[in-house]
Amino acid sequence: MSDVLRARGLLKTYRRGRAVDGVDLTVRRGERVALLGPNGAGKTTTLLMCLGVVEPDGGTVEIAGHRLPRGRSAAMTHVGFAAGYLPLPERLRVGEYLRMFGQLYGLADPEAQALRGLERFGIPHLVKASGTELSSGQKTLVGIVKSTMHDPDLLVLDEPTASLDPDVALRVRTGLAALCEERGTALLVTSHNMVEVGRIAERVVFLSAGRVVADGPPDEVAAGFGRDDLEEVFLHLAFERQASEHAEGLRP
Amino acid sequence: MTTQRFEAMGRGPARVSRELAWWLRIRAIARRHAYVLYRSPHRLFDVTVWPIVDTVLFGSLGVFFARQGGPSSAAQASVAYLLSGIVLWHVVYQAQIAVSTGFMEETWSRNLLSLMVTPLRELELVAGIALFGLAKLVMGVGVVAVAAFALYAFDVTDLGIGLVPVIAILLMGGWAIALLVIGLMLRFGNGAEALAWGIMFVAMPLGGVFYPVEALPPFLQPISALLPTTHAFAAGRELIDGGPMPWGELGLAAVGTLVATAAALAFVAWMLRLFRRRGYVTRYS
Repeated sequence: MSDVLRARGLLKTYRRGRAVDGVDLTVRRGERVALLGPNGAGKTTTLLMCLGVVEPDGGTVEIAGHRLPRGRSAAMTHVGFAAGYLPLPERLRVGEYLRMFGQLYGLADPEAQALRGLERFGIPHLVKASGTELSSGQKTLVGIVKSTMHDPDLLVLDEPTASLDPDVALRVRTGLAALCEERGTALLVTSHNMVEVGRIAERVVFLSAGRVVADGPPDEVAAGFGRDDLEEVFLHLAFERQASEHAEGLRP
Repeated sequence: MTTQRFEAMGRGPARVSRELAWWLRIRAIARRHAYVLYRSPHRLFDVTVWPIVDTVLFGSLGVFFARQGGPSSAAQASVAYLLSGIVLWHVVYQAQIAVSTGFMEETWSRNLLSLMVTPLRELELVAGIALFGLAKLVMGVGVVAVAAFALYAFDVTDLGIGLVPVIAILLMGGWAIALLVIGLMLRFGNGAEALAWGIMFVAMPLGGVFYPVEALPPFLQPISALLPTTHAFAAGRELIDGGPMPWGELGLAAVGTLVATAAALAFVAWMLRLFRRRGYVTRYS
């Protein structure tokens, strides 16, 4: 299986300290990977560096054979990105929004692809709705349609199902599973919902204090920490981090 | 439309050729901003009400002073200077505001991150916004020109063919100022928004819109002489006076505008690098 994302030795330091400290991250074609870790672990910074939005202080990123930052535009034709926190522009209807992104991705027939995507996630009736008329769940679904309409090799989702009803979350998972199955799309997802991660991902990468502390199938990672499931691993790392920050705070 | 299959995988939806893709991206951005204007009619203020207010203000000022000065040709010329100045000033103003606020729209709607994770290049984003900005510019300048003609019988086309290079130089000057504003917004965030309008109030008196450099206080004259707009407006006044094509002023304005645009591009590229290095995109997501 070839690598669709290959990041090596990523480093990033902000004023408040080191956010990412030598992260290696590889996602193979068709693989479903979850990037996990407590708040401040470096997940979003890592994702943004992998997407070429934030420039690393050190390390390299390659997407579908295109090295960033030089090959960013070409690399992005292979990538879809959606985040639960990103809104839809209010002054566009769903169809117009999807058409715009379809054109940005260079699709010859963006309307047809948009409709296909809306049908895949069960929301073709929203094509004429404006951003202000959508619920948060519907916005998330439209965002995922936007990120998948060009059949990307790599789909990056940052907290895709945050604040979604269970039925909408199920629709998202089902749609994504179908996409990955049909198209061989690789998935890189962050989430704080460990149950959901267990359902989506076949491999998890745990970050803590900007470093990779575990990488493997969910069961093996949990077992490696002597825990029953990912939730317990997550809590263990979060408490460990809090203790470390507390100790640093007490240091004279 | 030429299409090609997805090269890497040999599958997936049909795509336009690489040669067409950049144009499609620019057009997509221009269309997106057309929708914004269509759905926010209050934004027409900049291209309808404001130009009329400016025309009435400066036109009436000119008429008043011309009456004080009697029927002399100098007094009459001052009306024409003021009206040609305001028509041409709106080329700079509309070009600048359209591009600056177009970029701001992407930050207000928190769309910047989504755009940055597409094949869209930074220059294509600005080009798309500027492309639609041209439509707004035609509206805004058209309104000033028509108002000047209807209310004060001033026909800007009396400037003749020389109007074309003057407008081209001022258009480029407006875009250069917009790039400067975008660079500052990349660095300082939405707090720098006020500059989009504020910078025009600085540029207007220094840029020789209504009067020659010599009319300014001595300590401001060297600054004014350095601004390319000063020479473009001076060229406009020479045309109003019925003189020959003012090649000297046009040349100075053209060279100055090219230098200013190159400097603005370098500045915005530097700020963009800083924006990526410091992760400022999180301000807009």
